Amino acid sequence: MSNHSALNTFGRSGNPLIRSDIFSSRASSLGEKMTLQGAVDKTGILLFLTVMTAAISWNFQGPMMGAISALGALAAFVSGIATFGFWFFFVGWIVKPRPHLAPKTAPIYALGMGFIIGIMSEQAEMMFPGIVIQAVSLTFFVAASLLFAYKSGLIKPTQNFLLIIFSATVGIFLTYIANLVYSAFTGTSFSFLTDNGAFGIGISLFVVAIAALNLVLDFDIIEQAHEQGAPKYIEWFGAMALVATLIWLYIEILRLLMKLRSR
Amino acid sequence: MSLSTLLFAILGIISFLSFFFLLRYKASSKQTDRTNRIRWSSYFSYKERKGISQTKKVGSDGDAEFRE
Repeated sequence: MSNHSALNTFGRSGNPLIRSDIFSSRASSLGEKMTLQGAVDKTGILLFLTVMTAAISWNFQGPMMGAISALGALAAFVSGIATFGFWFFFVGWIVKPRPHLAPKTAPIYALGMGFIIGIMSEQAEMMFPGIVIQAVSLTFFVAASLLFAYKSGLIKPTQNFLLIIFSATVGIFLTYIANLVYSAFTGTSFSFLTDNGAFGIGISLFVVAIAALNLVLDFDIIEQAHEQGAPKYIEWFGAMALVATLIWLYIEILRLLMKLRSR
Repeated sequence: MSLSTLLFAILGIISFLSFFFLLRYKASSKQTDRTNRIRWSSYFSYKERKGISQTKKVGSDGDAEFRE
């Protein structure tokens, strides 16, 4: 038997536990490219995790669940910042995006956000019965409609589109932060955010529109990463971005419906 | 369960299934063959992580050469 055929038969190591084919399969898995199906699967997994923890926080109320939810929210926040980064005006990036962390941070984010939306949904459902199913249905209706518009080429995200949506998103984010600080000192929120008048509903509609258009950017990230043969972990990154926007869209639709039903 | 809730549930199920059905298909050439697309690779790098295969060459480099 020649040395090469011996290597092929027994592997590079004499130890059968560390045969070369095991290493080669490990190496090939590291070089794997992302697929659209992989991104779909990961999105499904993350949504399942979100719904699971949302169901837990919906059904088990109390101080213990409040503490777990607060911990979940903190974990989701840290996971989100670690993966997507954090950009600050005039200073630039403080935390750079790290897509390679997504396989670890995405499930943590989904589980943490599940606790938050479980509590929010339960409170909304107590006040307005049937509102949660309406909000969930409208969220997926908006997502499916925009996905169709994107895939068919009706909506074409460009650099200008990105700048407008990004600016509007940062504006909304800063308004929410300012509201949080304001309510911490005064005990009340900005009236235009909670008001159920025409102006308040208009603001809510604008936020829903911006959240929905963020979905188009997420679809583009997944599509382009797939075209360019991005590594496998981008499936988790794309899925995490998509689930984060879906959760945001769901919360905004829920708030809009609550304003409409309280009129 | 009221009729509106039932209708919303049906709408939600159809939308959910359509969403996951559409997500697995490639976008049309009208969407992909454009020159003014967003260049996502300039915002975050796909190649930031160096796996074992990139840091250490898995192959014959570290192995002894055998003569036939």
